[in-house]
Amino acid sequence: MNTDGNIYKPIKAKLTEVIEESPLIKTFVLVPEKEFSFKTGQFIELSVDSIGEAPFTPSSSPVITDKLEVTVMKTGYVTEYMHELKPGAYMGIRGPFGRGYPVEKFFGKEVLILGGGCGLAPIRSLLYALEHYKDKILKVILCYGSKTPSDCIYKPLFNRLNSIDKFEAYRTVDKADEEWNESVGVATVLLDKVKVNIENSVAVICGPPIMMKFGTKRILEMGYRDEQVYLSMEKNMSCGLGKCGHCMMGKYFVCKDGPVFTYNEIKDQPDIWN
Amino acid sequence: MQNLRCINKEDWNSTLKRLLVSHLIYATTENNSHLDYELITEADVNRISYNRPKPVTPLKSFFLPVSENVTATNSHGKPRIIIGTPNCDTEGLGILDEMYLDKDFKDIFYKSKRENTILISADCFGILEHCHCLSYGIKPYSNGIADLSILEKGGMMIFRILSTKGEQFLNTLTAVVIPEDKNIVEFIEEKHSSTESLLKEANKGLPDYKRTGSLVSEAKKEIWKKYSAKCVSCGACATICPTCTCFLLIDKPGFEKIKQLDACQYPGFERVAGGEDGLAELPQRFRNRYMCKYVWKPERFNSVACTGCGRCIEACIGKINKNELFMELA
Ligand SMILES: Cc1cc2nc3c(=O)[nH]c(=O)nc-3n(C[C@H](O)[C@H](O)[C@H](O)COP(=O)(O)OP(=O)(O)OC[C@H]3O[C@@H](n4cnc5c(N)ncnc54)[C@H](O)[C@@H]3O)c2cc1C
Ligand code: SF4
Ligand code: SF4
Ligand code: FES
Repeated sequence: MNTDGNIYKPIKAKLTEVIEESPLIKTFVLVPEKEFSFKTGQFIELSVDSIGEAPFTPSSSPVITDKLEVTVMKTGYVTEYMHELKPGAYMGIRGPFGRGYPVEKFFGKEVLILGGGCGLAPIRSLLYALEHYKDKILKVILCYGSKTPSDCIYKPLFNRLNSIDKFEAYRTVDKADEEWNESVGVATVLLDKVKVNIENSVAVICGPPIMMKFGTKRILEMGYRDEQVYLSMEKNMSCGLGKCGHCMMGKYFVCKDGPVFTYNEIKDQPDIWN
Repeated sequence: MQNLRCINKEDWNSTLKRLLVSHLIYATTENNSHLDYELITEADVNRISYNRPKPVTPLKSFFLPVSENVTATNSHGKPRIIIGTPNCDTEGLGILDEMYLDKDFKDIFYKSKRENTILISADCFGILEHCHCLSYGIKPYSNGIADLSILEKGGMMIFRILSTKGEQFLNTLTAVVIPEDKNIVEFIEEKHSSTESLLKEANKGLPDYKRTGSLVSEAKKEIWKKYSAKCVSCGACATICPTCTCFLLIDKPGFEKIKQLDACQYPGFERVAGGEDGLAELPQRFRNRYMCKYVWKPERFNSVACTGCGRCIEACIGKINKNELFMELA
């Protein structure tokens, strides 16, 4: 990122499109004014001018570098302002920050992905990356849960994934409506359906804290070892640079050492689930 | 003697007056029995107070201002000389350097302030009530990080050279010479050991830095409840601490960012979207500061995260004394 060596200075990015994914979730398509690229699972600090900034993991393919997409759930002060923005507006980007998914380590393996809610945003980027390296991956299984059918995001993605060789995608909702003909129950119920060779596989979990906690527990019960489980951790963040102290989780700065950790790396740290 | 230099106090004072043309000089002076840094003018030069423990303001304030626009142009300004810093403060810069000059992300504002400053530490002759540097492995006189250390002996100023930058600085000053009087070494050693004795005597039974980690991590909930009972989350302990550096970036029009000192003692420090907050309860926040200083930072950094300056004890309006807490744990 070219900001004259100033780590605090954002580059400007033009908002070219706003895609409504669900009543609370929008995807912002951004064209940065300067060269910008990221590794899947890394995050950026995205700012609304004079309002504030917040951390987000781009949901687009890391292979595409002329634009990026960020999927934002409206949950509070800054994200509410983001949802007001219209195409043509400018946002600020700092980053990319942190350690993303070590995709090369997934080569020759099966990848089981458990996602929930807005956790599908970073996962979508990972899926694009895995699709890019399709020849080197044995299998990709996505299990995704959301609260209701209207909270399900990236609807076309699922059909497309199921049409790609080596990819399988399953969905569930906590509460179904009349039209829903897929699974019902929390995300972990989908794990009963999947066939994986656990020995030669990795598990990736990304979602709200409650899903991370119970998802990890369930995945470990299936027989995954601690170091085979990749978690994307969410902490309060400000700088993204390992300096401001907000994201500390024991000895780790989640922004710099993470946000992706193996369970093995963090299981002894305090308060990992909140 | 190779690393020692000296100068007449009168010559030193006129040297400082001369340096005022090209430098900003901050030095410790006494006001109503309080020692603090002051921006020195010609008239103040002979009011500088040397070798007294400990200015009210922590040294970090010169490198991490309470509030700073970190998107503005990084202007260097006049070079600075800071005089009179006790070693608990100079050693506190160690962890700041590790964080702000780290190889992945250098803070250019911090870096230029560091480069732009000649730091003249002062060996402590005497201690204050809560000084406990030595218990944490910090001597009451600098051996590094600062560029020079200064000692006043009668009408003479003695310098111990601690960095090349310090040596080069002294080389530019004409009246500075290598001392010939052998008693000077003895004088320095005597001052050092007498202050160390005072510290040992005052802090008998206080667990050392190595033990603090296990004491803090094994401490029961009741301890944090008891000691935090009088805490009002004002954050004074962190604000005044030479090693506490947490901050928050605040957005201003034009995508400008203001870096504002923050503290884990304030509510909401770790709050995430959806309202989850690992530090929602006061005893959790209170404990967090101890875990950070004595358990987590030591696992990650080479420099100490508490230098034993005792300022947090002095600053606490609830009169919470961390040394009493450690004595109870020991
Ligand atoms: C690495 C990472 C990746 C992420 N990726 C995504 C993503 O792809 N998509 C997505 O939707 N979300 C993502 N998130 C979550 C996203 O960052 C949050 O939803 C966002 O920060 C919410 O900001 P807000 O201002 O709207 O929410 P708020 O809840 O208003 O504010 C959250 C922030 O404001 C502070 N705050 C608010 N109110 C208070 C108060 N009363 N007292 C003290 N402090 C307060 C909090 O400390 C916090 O910093 C990610 C988070 C992380 C850490
Ligand atoms: S804590 Fe030590 S170095 Fe600091 S002022 Fe007191 S005696 Fe000097
Ligand atoms: S924690 Fe207290 S004693 Fe330790 S360095 Fe900070 S202010 Fe000084
Ligand atoms: S977000 Fe500032 S240290 Fe991690």
